[in-house]
Amino acid sequence: MAPKKPLAKPQPAPARARAYAIWWNQQKQAIDFSLKRLWFNPISAWITLIAIALALSLPTSMHVLVKNLQSLTHNNQSVPTISLFLKPKVTEQQANDLAELVKSQPEVLNTTVVTRDQALQDFNKISGLADTLKTLGENPLPNIVIITPKLNDLGETDADLDDFSKRLKTYKEVEDIQIDIEWIQRLRAILRIADRIVAVVAALLAVTVLLVVGNTIRLDIENRKDEIRVTRLIGATNRYIRRPFLYGGLWLGLFGGILSLLVVNIALLFLVGPVNKLSNLYGSAFNLGGIDLTTTLEVLVISSALGLVGAWLAVNRYLWENEVVND
Amino acid sequence: MIEFRQVCKRYPTGQLALYNVNLTIRAGEMIFITGNSGAGKSTLLKLIALLESPSKGDVLVGNMPLTHLHQRQIPPYRRKIGFIFQDPHLLYDRNVYDNVALPLLISGMTPIEITRRVNAALDKVGLGKKTKSFPLMLSAGERQRVGIARAVVNRPTIILADEPTGNLDPELAQDIMYTFAQFNELGATVLIASHDHGLVERMKKRTVVLQRVEA
Repeated sequence: MAPKKPLAKPQPAPARARAYAIWWNQQKQAIDFSLKRLWFNPISAWITLIAIALALSLPTSMHVLVKNLQSLTHNNQSVPTISLFLKPKVTEQQANDLAELVKSQPEVLNTTVVTRDQALQDFNKISGLADTLKTLGENPLPNIVIITPKLNDLGETDADLDDFSKRLKTYKEVEDIQIDIEWIQRLRAILRIADRIVAVVAALLAVTVLLVVGNTIRLDIENRKDEIRVTRLIGATNRYIRRPFLYGGLWLGLFGGILSLLVVNIALLFLVGPVNKLSNLYGSAFNLGGIDLTTTLEVLVISSALGLVGAWLAVNRYLWENEVVND
Repeated sequence: MIEFRQVCKRYPTGQLALYNVNLTIRAGEMIFITGNSGAGKSTLLKLIALLESPSKGDVLVGNMPLTHLHQRQIPPYRRKIGFIFQDPHLLYDRNVYDNVALPLLISGMTPIEITRRVNAALDKVGLGKKTKSFPLMLSAGERQRVGIARAVVNRPTIILADEPTGNLDPELAQDIMYTFAQFNELGATVLIASHDHGLVERMKKRTVVLQRVEA
């Protein structure tokens, strides 16, 4: 049996409090100086922030648009349906029985029966051809079973849909099938491609943000070489030297992220009116949504992380070039 | 104790700054390093502060060869040294208080300790009322004294001063030398590189004269 490791001696409370006070004092100083650097160099800070904001705005706005379109495919008003047109001899009772049978399928969310009489009434209302239809003597419309499929189980691939429609066709009552789901499949396929494009654009622009932050911090380091030399001479560790620059990168990323959210929100404000009007013209309840809380937090966390990593790379490169990183 | 054992230093440019230096400085001693320009005075101090490493030989501090120090041990070692330059290398965007507090902050002291020690160090160099001033608002002599306060605030065991009075008038230079003498009396080992022979003679301390070496 391996010998037991001695447990670390717990620090007494005053020692812990002292260690915390020292740690916080060092952090406070670094935060203070890094914010002052931004404040006292407003032109260069704003140029960097605008560059970061623009780089982040593009993938953020694309992401918001794709999310809106995705919501369109899940919107109740836009749920696609499959209509089973039954043979003329099929009675209303048989139609109801078939609807119950189909409803028991795992891919089906709901079924509705539209009887021949209901269909005729609806047609009369919509078309205004009631008098013409009377001349036919007999109702030419069949009973219809309208199926609302479960989108998660169906419609993800063409193979699923084909398989399901083939099974529906095997019912002897069915004369014809009309599938109203293909457009949503196509839209989803387009959205999947759009999602990938957003990911690629986001990755490329993330590299841009890293370079922008890295370059800004590199210039800051160049301007503060003497200060670094002095602090190193009086015993500063690389961790101490690195800290204010890391905070600097963090602020650039965070404020750049906030600015990008503002830019995207302003752009959405411009778009929301015309898009909603267009949607109404098509009789859709779709409304262009803004940036939700999750996306807001995602943008802020990612932008802050990019700022931090950019600064880390720039400072470490300087430290490696000038002295071996020792901690 | 600081000891140089057959130390040579040649810079990458080919310049030979020190050749076969053997020197022992006792703990608590105050010593002047003199010599003409290019004789290697600054190099000798830089070797102790680990700003340079010897091309040959050993520099020992407290019987520990400095070349044996690991990278991680260098920052704690440097915290035991107070280095004063001819130009005090102050941070111009920080006030006097923050400049002097820097070594304590790096060493990891609590804000209360920092305030106490900074005020004591500034009182010692006569700048107790200039804590809020920025370096550009001070005279050359005051800036040099801020540099001294920063060097001694951490109570270093070794004080290295490279031409600390080079930019100052004789009277102020003498005052600063007496300040060093006071720190020496408190137990610090003090090494001062100076080419001001008159000032050095007046202090009546051991003097090491370095000769310029031809490559």
